[in-house]
Amino acid sequence: MGQRYRIVSGESPVVFLLPGQGAQHPRMAADLYGSSEIFTATMDEAFTILDDTVLREIWLRADPGPMFHDITHAQPLLLSVDYALARTVIAAGVRPDAVLGHSVGEIAAAVVAGVFDFADALLLLATFVRTYRHAPAGGMLAVASSPEVVDERLTGIPDVVIGAINGPRQVLVCGGRSGLTAARRRLLADGVTCAEVAARQPFHSPLMNDVPAQLDGASPDPYSTIRPRAPRTRMYSGYLGGPLDAAHATDLQFWLSQPSSPVYFGSALRAVLAGGPCTLVETGPGQSLSTLARRTPAVARGESRCLAALPPRRLAPGADTTAMAAMLDQLSHLTTDVPTRKD
Amino acid sequence: MLTNDQLRETMIASAGEDESINLDDEFATRPFTELGFDSLALLETCANLKRSYGIEVPDELLWEFSTPEELVRWVNGTES
Repeated sequence: MGQRYRIVSGESPVVFLLPGQGAQHPRMAADLYGSSEIFTATMDEAFTILDDTVLREIWLRADPGPMFHDITHAQPLLLSVDYALARTVIAAGVRPDAVLGHSVGEIAAAVVAGVFDFADALLLLATFVRTYRHAPAGGMLAVASSPEVVDERLTGIPDVVIGAINGPRQVLVCGGRSGLTAARRRLLADGVTCAEVAARQPFHSPLMNDVPAQLDGASPDPYSTIRPRAPRTRMYSGYLGGPLDAAHATDLQFWLSQPSSPVYFGSALRAVLAGGPCTLVETGPGQSLSTLARRTPAVARGESRCLAALPPRRLAPGADTTAMAAMLDQLSHLTTDVPTRKD
Repeated sequence: MLTNDQLRETMIASAGEDESINLDDEFATRPFTELGFDSLALLETCANLKRSYGIEVPDELLWEFSTPEELVRWVNGTES
């Protein structure tokens, strides 16, 4: 690999993983709101920048209803919670040597890496939301099979594609509502396990391409003030399936095309682990990316390790705070017995 | 009746040959998420339990089980 990791006093490099659509759940990380100063300040900053007073109320509701999973709510909340958690871990003294996000998590990762200011990232996302809320009704289906098998099963079904390859046996089928229903029926009939991802838009499918053209250009170009920079912290991209170079990072079009582009998260994660032993830290709701990482040879064999800032799902009140404290405690005990990365 | 070893074999089969999972002697008491099993992999495990042993675990119950041990206990408690 081209760049080198910064290895601090023999500790294994830390790589943040930031999850995207599907990872959201009601009151995600909410225990930290009011108890962690930096987490609270970051969330409040987001609500102020987004100028959305309802969003906070919806986030904190125990039962916000199905619209919680809509792009209008889930995406700005995921970006904010991912970044607020990352900042909380950084404030505790653990700086990432690299970052990798999934889908909207990649925008949060870009904020951590210094590609965007938080305010610009929120502005970018708010514009995505205004645009893609008009996308045809759709969603995503997680399938426990290889891309080859899934691709074969999708033959002849309109408006669905493989929108993400998360691992050797985890693929997301993305697209329109009726196409997803047909795909699900066919996969289940063939004995292939699948589960709906909590989403209401056809993310990572070409259906997202049709939308911007339908909008009128009445408002000034909202992107004109956003200037992405080269990452200051090493960053991996799910859309590139590997390291993010400065040319892509500074190309606004690269970011604008993301909602309709496929995600190669599995490849990007392999690229991270190919660099040698590291400590993966999931800074987002749930443990969707941690479970993927724990099935990789590097983590399963114990060469690299994987910790998550939050519990796998919504548990008893206070569980977020306990999980974060336990993770920070584990991170503080990282010792030199972890093999040093040979980059 | 479901034994820990039977569940372990099923979990390994569910993860697939091209995936790496490490189910050691203590696997039964470790959280599924730590073993690399998310909701999709758990659904796959339950589909295989049904195929191999005719054991049916309702999808909505899946998340009630944090560890393999809890799943085994539920299966054996329900069947006995």
